[in-house]
Amino acid sequence: MNLTIFLQTTLNGLMVGGVYALVAVGLTLIFGVMKIVNFAQGEFVMLGMYVSWMLATYAHIAPYPGLVLVGIVMFAIGYLVFKFLIIRVIGKPDESFILLTLGLSIVLQNLILMIFGAEYLSVSTPIKDAALHLGGLTLSAPRMIAFLVALLLVVALTILLNKTDLGRAMRATAESREVATLLGINPVKCFTIAFAIGIVLAGTAGVLLTPMFYVFPGVGTLFNLTAFVVVVLGGMGSVPGALLGGLIIGIVEALSSTYISLDLSQLFTFLIFLAVLFIRPSGLFGGATK
Amino acid sequence: MNPKAAKFFLPALIVVVLAVPLVVTVPYYLHIMIMVFLFATMGLGWNLIGGYGAQLSLGHSVFFAIGAYTAVLFVVYKRLTPLVGGVVGMALAVVAAVIIGLPCFRLRGPYFSLATIASGEITRTLLLHFKDFTAGANGVPLPFHGNDPLFLQFRSKAAYYYLALLLLGAVFMIVRTMEHAKIGRYLAAVREDQDAAESLGVKTAWVKMAAFMLSAAIVAACGVLYAFTVGYIDPDGVASVNLSIEIAVVVIVGGIGTLWGPILGAAVIVLLTELTNMYLGAVRGGASLFLYGILLITVIILKPNGLISLFDRFWPKKQVAHGTTA
Repeated sequence: MNLTIFLQTTLNGLMVGGVYALVAVGLTLIFGVMKIVNFAQGEFVMLGMYVSWMLATYAHIAPYPGLVLVGIVMFAIGYLVFKFLIIRVIGKPDESFILLTLGLSIVLQNLILMIFGAEYLSVSTPIKDAALHLGGLTLSAPRMIAFLVALLLVVALTILLNKTDLGRAMRATAESREVATLLGINPVKCFTIAFAIGIVLAGTAGVLLTPMFYVFPGVGTLFNLTAFVVVVLGGMGSVPGALLGGLIIGIVEALSSTYISLDLSQLFTFLIFLAVLFIRPSGLFGGATK
Repeated sequence: MNPKAAKFFLPALIVVVLAVPLVVTVPYYLHIMIMVFLFATMGLGWNLIGGYGAQLSLGHSVFFAIGAYTAVLFVVYKRLTPLVGGVVGMALAVVAAVIIGLPCFRLRGPYFSLATIASGEITRTLLLHFKDFTAGANGVPLPFHGNDPLFLQFRSKAAYYYLALLLLGAVFMIVRTMEHAKIGRYLAAVREDQDAAESLGVKTAWVKMAAFMLSAAIVAACGVLYAFTVGYIDPDGVASVNLSIEIAVVVIVGGIGTLWGPILGAAVIVLLTELTNMYLGAVRGGASLFLYGILLITVIILKPNGLISLFDRFWPKKQVAHGTTA
């Protein structure tokens, strides 16, 4: 086995894994606080990509400088989706959430298809082809930036959850909605913020992907399934678990597509997923939330 | 509708449905009706585990694909009639149900749904990968040799129409019988409270597995009939997550855990998507699925018991007392 190819593959996987982690952290935050699985998480990645593409095309704001702007737009979208849709099924059985968010993912995908058509769009930035060379290894700039920003955002979220009153309130709500209410915490407010932050994380992942990925209506489905796998692997509701899970899945995908077969790389992701579900459903970092 | 009128409703519906191919001769319209029947049948099958048993499976395309591929590949490689190949396909689907069910039924809520999605994606990936055997993404076309009932090949769409209707009728009768049999009541107990049912001596694992196996066989039969009606299958068409979702959505929109819900849901969803495709498809791609998603969201928020609940007040009270409209 050629060592350079092995290291390069692992490195590529690690970088993509950072973005997977970002999508999954949003998903796991929403699950941890609200106990719901958002089946439309990938579609919010897709929306982030389109907002970023629109900024670049119509306002000439490149993806990275536009990151904060997209974040704000995504927060507003998340807030509105919560206020108009999600809030109506709180307290209803699991199936209602699953089906509502499935419906939402179908609506968003096809709304974008109706507006922008099925073309593959792309954003060109000068940074796209820049790369760092280390020994025999190549680190492309968009991948590296995506990885570092993703890491930074996960750290910021961890600080928010552990060091601020808002974060403590969200964690209390995650632990027990009833007790949190007794302590004077408004659980619905926590739900709203957790959901909106989860959507912001998905959207920013979309922005980080635009310089290296085509933008098209169905792109979210690629990330939906991967994000589920990552979240289950790390333990539903665990932020550090989602980070580690994202990196692991990124590396597994890269290695299996290089060494086994490109079209089977997803198979290994799903087999890991099933294995974790059956052997250790609480995931690597399970126990944090049930 | 008063009880007397309700008595006439079913016979009248049967007569109308039987007469349709005599009046309608446009193949495309008959095709739409065939799809209504197939989705209604699959909905009835899915409802056994998803509705009566409340295990939200999003992986039923596995069984559809196994039925379709087994029957078609037997014709292509062995020239074996689908009347036999189809039964083999249904048997394989039942085996797949056991393999998927054994581990997955240990999981609950969203975990179960996610695991069934993964099973579906694994099936699709394998069908795409083993190109030498399954032709991969190119799919398998069925060579057409003219009218040949033994190979389910007919020039006229009407033949498929009646076959699909026959299948729907048979499955409807099976499910109706089951609803009132022991297994139906056990399933209802599982839906209400798995732990309580178990403590009362209901073998919940066995009940769920039996319902899952039967539901797999029904969906596999639909896969066989679909393959021969359309004459072509490919992994993205018969093994996609979207198909699994549509089977579930048909039941949810119609009325989960009810006998008529899947039939109403199939009629509404198939007609909605096909008609919008016909009138808007060329202008705006995505319009039909957009409306389908909106319909799903609206039903979940406003009519969680499905569109069938709109008709509740028309039915004689007796129906409700059976507890089938939970």
